[in-house]
Formats: sequence, C-alpha cells, structure tokens
Amino acid sequence: MLAMPALRRPGLLISAALAITVPGVLAIVALLGPEHTATRATAFASAGAGEAATGGGELYDYAETAQDGMGIQLLGESAAAGLAVSYQGVELLAQSGVAGQDTIVSNVWHSGGVTITQTSDAAMATGTQPYVSYDVDNRSPEGVFGVTKTLVSLLGQHYVAVYQGTGSAVGRPALVVELHRADGSLAARFWLDRQTMVPLRREVFDTSARVISEEAFVQVQFGTLTKLPGPTAASAASAKASAKASAGATAATPSGSGWSAVTAPAQLLADLNKQGWRLPVSLPGGLPLYSAARSTTTAGQVLDLGYSDGLSVVSLFVQRGTLAQRPAGWQQVSLPGHQVYVAGHSIIWAGDGFVYTMLADAPPVVVTQVVASLPQNTAPGFFDRIMRGFHRLAAVANPFH
Amino acid sequence: MTHLGERISALIDGELTGAELDRANAHLAACERCRAEAAEMRQLKRALRALFEVDDNDELTRRLLGDAGPGGPVPSYQDRREQYRRDQGKGLRDKRPRGRGGRGDGDATRSRARYVVWSAVSLFVVGIGAAAFSMGGGGGAPAPKITPQLEMFSVEHAIVSGTVPEQDQATAGTSVTRP
Repeated sequence: MLAMPALRRPGLLISAALAITVPGVLAIVALLGPEHTATRATAFASAGAGEAATGGGELYDYAETAQDGMGIQLLGESAAAGLAVSYQGVELLAQSGVAGQDTIVSNVWHSGGVTITQTSDAAMATGTQPYVSYDVDNRSPEGVFGVTKTLVSLLGQHYVAVYQGTGSAVGRPALVVELHRADGSLAARFWLDRQTMVPLRREVFDTSARVISEEAFVQVQFGTLTKLPGPTAASAASAKASAKASAGATAATPSGSGWSAVTAPAQLLADLNKQGWRLPVSLPGGLPLYSAARSTTTAGQVLDLGYSDGLSVVSLFVQRGTLAQRPAGWQQVSLPGHQVYVAGHSIIWAGDGFVYTMLADAPPVVVTQVVASLPQNTAPGFFDRIMRGFHRLAAVANPFH
Repeated sequence: MTHLGERISALIDGELTGAELDRANAHLAACERCRAEAAEMRQLKRALRALFEVDDNDELTRRLLGDAGPGGPVPSYQDRREQYRRDQGKGLRDKRPRGRGGRGDGDATRSRARYVVWSAVSLFVVGIGAAAFSMGGGGGAPAPKITPQLEMFSVEHAIVSGTVPEQDQATAGTSVTRP
C-alpha cells in the first residue's frame, strides 16, 4: 500500500534510484583509483629512462609521478654529488631581480670540501676580483645551482618532480628533471650530468612560463683538477690546511664566521618576537621558515633566517638598529611601502628599529611581496602614535612591570 | 490759610476721597485763588485729552499710545509712586553685597565650581594626550648604527642555497645590473 503512490509517480522513483546509484558508482571508482594509477606509474617508470627528454610532450598524471619518486630521487643523488665530486669550470648566472636583470660569470673550483669562486662581470672581462667562499668550520656551498639535500627535501613537499628522460648540457649527456606546481605549470627544469650527477644547468620559470633565472656551466671539468684558479689558490690552500680562513683570504670575509645554527627556529622567533622583534614564520609566496642561525658582531646580534619552498630561497638577515648610511654603489628602488637599496639580488632597508638585509633567489614578484610584508620606516599615524604613547605610559606607570 | 497746592491735581483727577475730599471742596469754596487754579488745571487737562483723541482710522497713533502703558502718556501720581517704589526696591536688591547666605550667591558658586572642574578635566585630558603623543614618537631607545656585513651575508646565503656568492658592488664591482 505504501509503495502505490511512488509507483503512480515514475519520475520520483527514477530520481530516488539515481540518488542511490550515482554516489555508489563514484565511491567504487574512488576505491579502484589508486590501484589503477599505481599500475600506470610502474609502467611509466620502466619506460621513462629511454624516452626523449625536453619537450617530450607525453601527458602524465601528477599523482602517478609523485608516487614514482624518480625525479626527487635523482635530485637527491645530485645534491650528494655536488658535495662529493671534484669539479672546476665557469658558471653563468642570469637572474631577474626587482631592479632589472643581473648577470654574473664565476670561475668555480671545488675539491675536497673547499669551494673557490672567482666572480666576474658578465659584460666586461676586466675588473674581476678573487673571491673565496669557505669558513673556519670548513663549510662550503652545500650544492650546485640550488640542489642541496635540504632544499631537495623541501622540493618534495611543494612540487612534483618528474624525470623527463635524457638530454644534454654543456656538451655532456644529462638526465632531465622537471618540477611542476600543484596546478601543473612548469616551475623549473634541471639537467644533471649523467656520469657524475652534478647539476649542469637549471632554469626557473614563473607562473607565466617565462624564464626568471638561468644558471649553467658554460665550461666544466670533472675528476682530478689541474690547478687552482688565480692568486686565491695559495690563500685557499692555506685556509684549508690551517682552518683559519681569515688569515689568508685576499678579498673576502670568511663565511659563517661565528654563525651558530638554531635547532628550534620557530621557538627562537617566538622568543624574539616577545622582545619586540618582528620575525615572520613564513613569507609570501609560500616560503616557510626552514633554517635559522645567529651570530654576534660589534653592533650586536645578527639573525639569519632562511625561507624556502625548495626552489626559491630567501635569506633574511636582521639586526637591531638603524642603517648607518646608504650603501655606496647600491641602487635606491621604491617598492610598495618601502624605499630599499638594491644590488643584484641583495636588498637592504631599515624598518621599525631593525635593519633588514635580504638575499633572494626568488621571482621578482615574490621578492616585492616579501619586502612589503616586513616592517618599514614610516612615521606612525596620529592615532597609532597616541596608542603607542599610551602603551609606553602604561608600561612606565605599571607597578608590576 | 493753607492752599490746596498739589492736591488740586488729585481733586480734579478724582483721587481724593472721604474727609480729604470734603476739606478740599470746603477750601475751594472759600478760596478764589485755588478755584481759579483748579479751573485752569481742568482746562489744561481737557486740552491735553483733546490732543490725544484717537481717530479710529489712525492705526499707527493708537498703537503708539498703547505702547505708552495703561496710564496713558502721562502716568498718574499713584502709578508714578508705585513705579518709583519698584525701581527703588530693584536697585537695592542689585546693590546688595553677595555672600554665602543669599540665593544668588549659591548659583554663582555652583557655576564657578563647574567651570573649575571642567577646566581641570580638560587640562588633564589634553596633558595626557600630549604626553602620549610625545612618547609615541621616535623609535624609543637610541639604536646602534648598522652597516650590514654584506660579504659575510652573501657567503652565508650562498652556502645554504647552494649558489655562487654575489659580491658587494662597492668593494668588487663584479655584479652588473641591467634594468
């Protein structure tokens, strides 16, 4: 008797049947999905090594390539090779910054944990200066072209690494790995030396698929190195032997002198923010804090905060005080809310009782957002000034303070 | 024999009554001088009254006469005395010295107290605001002058980011910026 009204209305019956059937089918598809994609990923991994690399054009599923893990694995091996393998060569770096494009050429010599770079003007061969990068702790750059163990682990959290096959760079056979954003757009492409796994070339793209950074060896030699570059050789060797870098350096301040890594960066930021510092735990552009170190200079404490998603790296050096003078030779640039001094990918400004020095390997739009998000030197508004004064008055009058 | 004097005016105006009226009439009957004076007074008053006869069509004249008060252009003797008494009393009250006991003294004291309280509150608010504005400016304690150790920072950044350290243009001049 109860079913009779429904039978008299076939439209209602069909709707009820569809309401039960459609979600059921979708649930079954969802349950069967992972097995299906795993099967395809295995097939891709077995066939990937023989495929043509750049511009291969094969459509792929991001879920399956993430499961594949081959791209990240190759980058991890490359990070280790960048430390272990001896090499020397000439690097070209072309990078878009907030003040224009910056291009430098560097002679690089790396062996046994010591890295020497001699940086030159890309436009003029003259005026080169020796530059030694090492420190008393025998620290060296932790990789080549941004491929370090730490950054590769961050890459895996923020990007999908896809092995695209083989290619060539600087005349050497290479494995090509691409990084893709969550929306599928290309973020970066790496050429890894097939023999040594050392990175040979890196291109970084913005969200509009334009190249914003290009780093590449234009000459490279692996294995036993013939000689050290220029007059820095003696000082570098001396520093390596004695572990006292400052004595032999010809033109550079030893890196990492006095830097001590912070084991709990977030806790340090929380403590310092209670003391009036304004240190963010993440920066615009999806750049979380991943490292912190501190050092002490004659002017006081310096804090080095590292923010990165694995591809873009921002180092923010913060010191309490005001900027002594305009850095000579630096370009003054107006960014939203800030007047900053820019040289290459370095930016300096003062804000709210602190001096910020930022070195950024990041897209210009991200750099602009980052600068805008940090304190600046502006006169407070009337009510802000009144309120700040009331707070200070209250602090003075507080008998429990 | 004492003449009527000013009482002639009161007699003519009908302001004398009783024994005073009888005595005035008796004197007037016996004194030709006072009779003559009374006759002149009546004639004068009649003439004055004729002057102020108001034409019904003369609206302006009637309004002006109305403004002159209930006693007409020339108030009566009693009206003048009453007005004099009122004026005297008001003058004395105005000239009375003000002290704690009087009603006017209380109003003045309360008004002055309100003025003082409001002045004190205004001064306090303005003073606190000015102090807050003064303390809210500047950066607090004198801050050290910082010259960033650019080479040190550049090398540290290069180490953690796995890149080539960029030299300071001021000291090396090796980095070129092309807008």
